[in-house]
Amino acid sequence: MANDILLKIEGLRAGVEDKEILKGVDLVIRKGEIHAVMGPNGAGKSTLSAVLAGKPQFKILDGSIEFMGRDLLKMSPEERSWAGIFLSFQYPVEIPGVTITNFMKTAINSHRKGKGLEPLKAGDFLKLMREKMAFVQMKPEFAKREVNVGFSGGEKKRNEIFQMAMFDPNLAILDETDSGLDVDALRIVASGVNALHTPQKAAIVITHYQRLLDYIVPDVVHVLKDGRIVKTAGRELVAMIEEKGYDSL
Amino acid sequence: MTACSAMDVLNTITIGAGQSFHKVYLNWSDEQLPARFVVERDASLDIIVLSMPGEDCDRAVEIELAGEGASADISGAYICGGSENVRIAVDMRHSVPGCNSRQLFKGLAGGKSKIDFYGKITVAKDAQKTAAFQENHNILLSDYARVNTRPQLEIYADDVKCSHGATVGRLNEEELFYMRSRGISLEDAKVLQMVSFLSPVMEGIQEEKLREELACRLDEAVRDIVRGI
Repeated sequence: MANDILLKIEGLRAGVEDKEILKGVDLVIRKGEIHAVMGPNGAGKSTLSAVLAGKPQFKILDGSIEFMGRDLLKMSPEERSWAGIFLSFQYPVEIPGVTITNFMKTAINSHRKGKGLEPLKAGDFLKLMREKMAFVQMKPEFAKREVNVGFSGGEKKRNEIFQMAMFDPNLAILDETDSGLDVDALRIVASGVNALHTPQKAAIVITHYQRLLDYIVPDVVHVLKDGRIVKTAGRELVAMIEEKGYDSL
Repeated sequence: MTACSAMDVLNTITIGAGQSFHKVYLNWSDEQLPARFVVERDASLDIIVLSMPGEDCDRAVEIELAGEGASADISGAYICGGSENVRIAVDMRHSVPGCNSRQLFKGLAGGKSKIDFYGKITVAKDAQKTAAFQENHNILLSDYARVNTRPQLEIYADDVKCSHGATVGRLNEEELFYMRSRGISLEDAKVLQMVSFLSPVMEGIQEEKLREELACRLDEAVRDIVRGI
């Protein structure tokens, strides 16, 4: 059914400066689906996530992206966030001088403003924060820490999933969320992502390895190589890649 | 403020032995800001000088650490978005042993503003066990603004800890994108980044009410600059 479609990418070519990285990507994601995008280093996986989130440094050369019936490429990064796109960064950015509480309060109230709602009352906001921090097993004292400053790799990724829980997005894009995580942190992050998933939402899990996909089970698996999707199949593809590597494709 | 810290005819404020002096000057042309401070034994000086948009200034302040155990802390923030001409010179003189000093100046240079910061630390021959630090950081917001920063150290003693650091940078694009990807508008993201950049200076204001009041003014001033970029 056409109205089940959340995201539709057609003939997408994109790059930075003069370098073309994505050389014609087509992808359709329906509500309720989890898609894995796998591929070797340099295939364009992170470019795809950056382009979906609207990173200004990336230039669109051709093609279109439709998100919930809207032209995504005409939307600013903040408008995409308001519309329900969330990118979990491969390398979450440190913001010195801004506490997680202040950062999230500004972000949540920007979302509400985007939807024409009043700012959240201080008490309600703090309650929501406590709830979502507990959800990813983040210690309460992190609320007062500066965003990602001095965090370990695992703490940064947990902070990403905490933010995802705060926004409860329609489309979550997890860019190499498994990198830098030990098994325990991986389980916490994966169970967080799974718990937020509903038949109305979708997720794109970008990863180099099988590991994360043992915990977040994809419905569809794509292999991205040299800027193109060279193979699409069901979850059985993951095991095949693990066994034979990307070169066999 | 006590009688010992009144300004004399030589435009000097002396902080007497064991006394402490904390004051926030709302602009560099404040008549109450003297040209010279003398900090005596075990006394402490802690001043903050702000410069809001539209204010020109050309001021030199000399601080002399004249008694053992004295400390001096001077910090400042300048916010320039138009055609301001801001010249600040700090002359920190460690004349005796065992004194501490810290200088922190942070500023935004937008529009066609011109910033000139000159900071000198002099450590006299006998002033062993001196600890003196100086930092000057700037964010350049326009291609027409200019920042000139000149840190200087003159050290004649050999058992000291001294450092200085000066930077001139731009707004951090990665931070801005991260904030926008969380739904924070470009304008708010820029304001948040600039305000947090200046916050180490603002946090030094001890009186809570004044700090909050000035934080509000700062927020508005920064937002006006962002809207004008």
